[in-house]
Amino acid sequence: MASETLALDTIAQGTRPIADRLHAWVVTVDHKRLGILYIIYGLVFLVIGGIEATIIRIQLIVPHNHFVSPQVFNRMFTMHGTTMIFFVIMPILFGFGTYLIPLAIGTRDMAFPRLNAFSFWLTAFGGALLYFSFIGGNGLYGAGNAPDVGWFAYAPLTSRAFSPGHSTDFWTLGLLVSGFGSIGTAVNFVTTILCMRCPGMTLGKMPLLAWLNLIMGGMVILAISPLTAAQIMLSIDRYLGGHFFDTQAGGSAVLWMHFFWIFGHPEVYILVIPAFAFASEIIPVFSRKPIFGYPVMVAATICIGFISFSVWAHHMFTVGMSSYGNTFFTMTTMIIAVPTGIKIFNWIGTMWGGKIQFKAPMLFCIGFLFQFLIAGLTGIMLGASPFNWQLGNSYFVVAHFHYVIVGAILFTIFGAFYYWFPKMSGRMYSETLAKWHFWLFFIGFHLTFDFMHIPGILGMPRRIYTYEPGRGWEIWNLIVTVGVIFQIAGVLVFVFNVLRSLVKGGTAGNDPWDAWTLEWSTSSPPPEYNFAKIPAVRSRRPLWDIKHPEDPDWKYE
Amino acid sequence: MSSEAFAQPSIEPEWVLPSRGRVGMFSLIAAEAAIFTIFVVAYIFYTGKSLSGPMPRDVLDLPIFNTVCLLSSSLTIHLAVKALRNAKVGAFGLWWFVTIALGAIFLAGTGREWQRLIFEKGLTISTNLFGTTYYSLVGLHAFHVIVGLIALSLGMIFTFLGKVKPEHSERLDILSLYWHFVDAVWVIVFTVVYVVGR
Amino acid sequence: MVTTISRPETPQVMPDTVKLPAPTAWPIILAFGIALLFAGLVTSASVSILGAILFVTGCVGWFRDVLPHEKEETVEVKPEVTVIATSRREVERLPIAPDLPRALLPLETYPVSAGIKGGLAGSVAMAVLACLYGFLKQRSIWYPINLLAATGYAQSLKIGTAWLDGFHLGSFSLALAIHLFTSLLVGLLYGAMLPMFPRRPIFLGGIVAPILWTGLLHSILGLINPLLDERIDWPWFIASQFAFGIVAGLVVARLAPVRTRQLVPFLMRAGIEAPGWTKEKPGKDEPR
Repeated sequence: MASETLALDTIAQGTRPIADRLHAWVVTVDHKRLGILYIIYGLVFLVIGGIEATIIRIQLIVPHNHFVSPQVFNRMFTMHGTTMIFFVIMPILFGFGTYLIPLAIGTRDMAFPRLNAFSFWLTAFGGALLYFSFIGGNGLYGAGNAPDVGWFAYAPLTSRAFSPGHSTDFWTLGLLVSGFGSIGTAVNFVTTILCMRCPGMTLGKMPLLAWLNLIMGGMVILAISPLTAAQIMLSIDRYLGGHFFDTQAGGSAVLWMHFFWIFGHPEVYILVIPAFAFASEIIPVFSRKPIFGYPVMVAATICIGFISFSVWAHHMFTVGMSSYGNTFFTMTTMIIAVPTGIKIFNWIGTMWGGKIQFKAPMLFCIGFLFQFLIAGLTGIMLGASPFNWQLGNSYFVVAHFHYVIVGAILFTIFGAFYYWFPKMSGRMYSETLAKWHFWLFFIGFHLTFDFMHIPGILGMPRRIYTYEPGRGWEIWNLIVTVGVIFQIAGVLVFVFNVLRSLVKGGTAGNDPWDAWTLEWSTSSPPPEYNFAKIPAVRSRRPLWDIKHPEDPDWKYE
Repeated sequence: MSSEAFAQPSIEPEWVLPSRGRVGMFSLIAAEAAIFTIFVVAYIFYTGKSLSGPMPRDVLDLPIFNTVCLLSSSLTIHLAVKALRNAKVGAFGLWWFVTIALGAIFLAGTGREWQRLIFEKGLTISTNLFGTTYYSLVGLHAFHVIVGLIALSLGMIFTFLGKVKPEHSERLDILSLYWHFVDAVWVIVFTVVYVVGR
Repeated sequence: MVTTISRPETPQVMPDTVKLPAPTAWPIILAFGIALLFAGLVTSASVSILGAILFVTGCVGWFRDVLPHEKEETVEVKPEVTVIATSRREVERLPIAPDLPRALLPLETYPVSAGIKGGLAGSVAMAVLACLYGFLKQRSIWYPINLLAATGYAQSLKIGTAWLDGFHLGSFSLALAIHLFTSLLVGLLYGAMLPMFPRRPIFLGGIVAPILWTGLLHSILGLINPLLDERIDWPWFIASQFAFGIVAGLVVARLAPVRTRQLVPFLMRAGIEAPGWTKEKPGKDEPR
């Protein structure tokens, strides 16, 4: 993608030396370039996080394996979790948001273009700082000690006594820096969507992409800040000898858990709401029908946003709470399933009676629908506190949240990638290869994460280095690891498809999907200024109005 | 087709959107408020849980004068922006300067209080839970005061250079939102630390 | 009058140039400065010092970029004609409301009062059957009432059967409240949902739903409240559920449904007779 836009620049401005072109990317404040930078950055870390996951799975393929040492294993699962959440999914989602929001609401750039660049570079340097720990971090086991305290870094494991050296500080500071970047991006999203809409685009006429990113931005502002605060406290403990999470001085390790999960659970919805946004854009276009229940979709998402701030302690049922706490958090967890269920019905309602085209983006979204349903159902199971006492911190939990993050979020990200790739690059991808990608990844996903539930039910705890033979876990772990091979194959097909299409793909045209939102009204890739003349809209589907002047939407909205 | 032409309203209402700076500043304030909330919650949670002294009631005095200074600076900055909107640059400069002075007095007061606590009462951030939570909460607030003072001082410098014009009142108004927020946080910090927590 | 973006038939006047924010290196320098500032904490103080220098430089540079005026660059507009058109000219409509070009679903619903009436009628039918059960099986019409109250006040089950047979005012009021509240809720749900059931709404609402609900309760009540489970007579239980469902369904379905508010075009809402509109209409319902 990068080289493509560069190539077009070259045509426009004459051949320039590579250094100049790179310089242009470094100093850019253009939301499209920054969006692409975000996505490339996220994809690079996807590969890194994927390698870490593969190492974990190879280690667990047979009992008593010694593929890596226990110390390395701890670093792998810590870095895998941290990377995938903060440096893969969030940057990719922010990247799509940064790229698409101004195009979708018909404006030329974000509200604060320089802040946009600043936020991206903060995220980028935050990730670099975290990964520098592999070289420069000294910890319990000498130099080259990456963080190994788990991605939620429970106290008191993070205290100086149990985590000497700087490995944990790398985790704290890397996330702190990238957290500032996330808050900056979120402020930018909210401001752009509220203040930069093109004439006629009232809040009720915004595409769902904009609505859902607005809600996501608001949630990032309110959820990442508690994490930032908690990280500052942890740093005070580690550097200045504070006692926030120091139980020996009266501090509380449980308070860290509360602070982490008051960030951690909204974070899940921060990640999944943009995925909802992608599905809400893709499913109508490939069903050839308008979205079903637009106002309800918005209302349900706002409900999810609010309720998601009151469910955090369902991550802590096994820690021990009063029965009132258990009841409250069980109830809120059940309640949040209601708006989520409404959204699933609305997507199915959109597809119902439509002329469905099974192109790659749609395939990924259909996969998302069913997988997200299952993820939600296991989520409700885990949300019931008595059930959670049985299976908390087991592989069942691991399978559940990977169902959300891979089965729902990553699937829609792939769908979004195929859907907007023609817009971003001007080239069409190979549909055959994309279908190969889908089916390989689909099979791999189900092999890995369907069967991962079972060792969890059989009692296999998460994060264990290895296990005894004869507990009935071997066959399931073997299948789970075999699934990884299919997933890797799928991702390789994806990478090959992207690279091949950038070089050899046919011209996509402005509107390859015959879609209805504003980004498809400008050329592919869009010019620097997006729209030569700022458009004016009168309905939720402005391009439908133009394409069907005899039957426009605005008469009914 | 005649119907379509007929149905189009002939006069479009003017397209008004909220101000970028204002929405951006409110978003930033929301983020900051969330950070402060966590620190305040930690302070309340740990009130009275220190295992060793000194305790708040032994060492803390009510900083009434400081509080009055900081809170009245909210009023003066409001007057400053109002004066600028009415194109009274001189009055603006005066009120702006008073705001900075009041903020600086507050900061100096906090500095004096910390000096007394550290050197006379022997309370540091690592002494006990009270020290940890007190210094981090009040320090976080003081950090915001410092950032605010730097921003206000820049405005002052530009006033001295004669660069501030009435058309800048919108920007300075947005800056004043931040200052109001810092003051509002102090009300909460004061209540929690000096009234409830003592 | 607003014309929407670049229609093929209406050529628009395009501006020649567009002003965009100028590229700048200060954000990356500032971000790098902040990252180094923190990186110094895990490496050495010199890194932090460098970070602080970059931080200050970045702030100053950025400040000079935006004040007094934002730096902008002028970009020339590439002349191009964007045609927004579709090859899919045919519009097919789902056969829901032939008289409406666009419909809000459901087209008809029952008024709220129908749900309330249905719920109350159902609650009477259910209560009669339950008391009949109490009288025939336990020789006490208070027995089922006390059982219902026991869902809210579980201690009463431990006291014994003799207590359950007697009349207790607290128990009675609790049972009455639970019964009326639940009946009203289910009645309202019937009112909202019955028009959406495709066929035989009474069968679905009066037989299938109670069977599903009783099945669920039968399977889990033993886990939730074993003492209560021991005392439930399931054939009678499901009979009373049927009674509620059928009576409530019949009462709701007997009342006339009302049409929901539809978004009709401006002309129809305004009540204007526009020949262009009515002439256009017949062709639209058939796929072209």
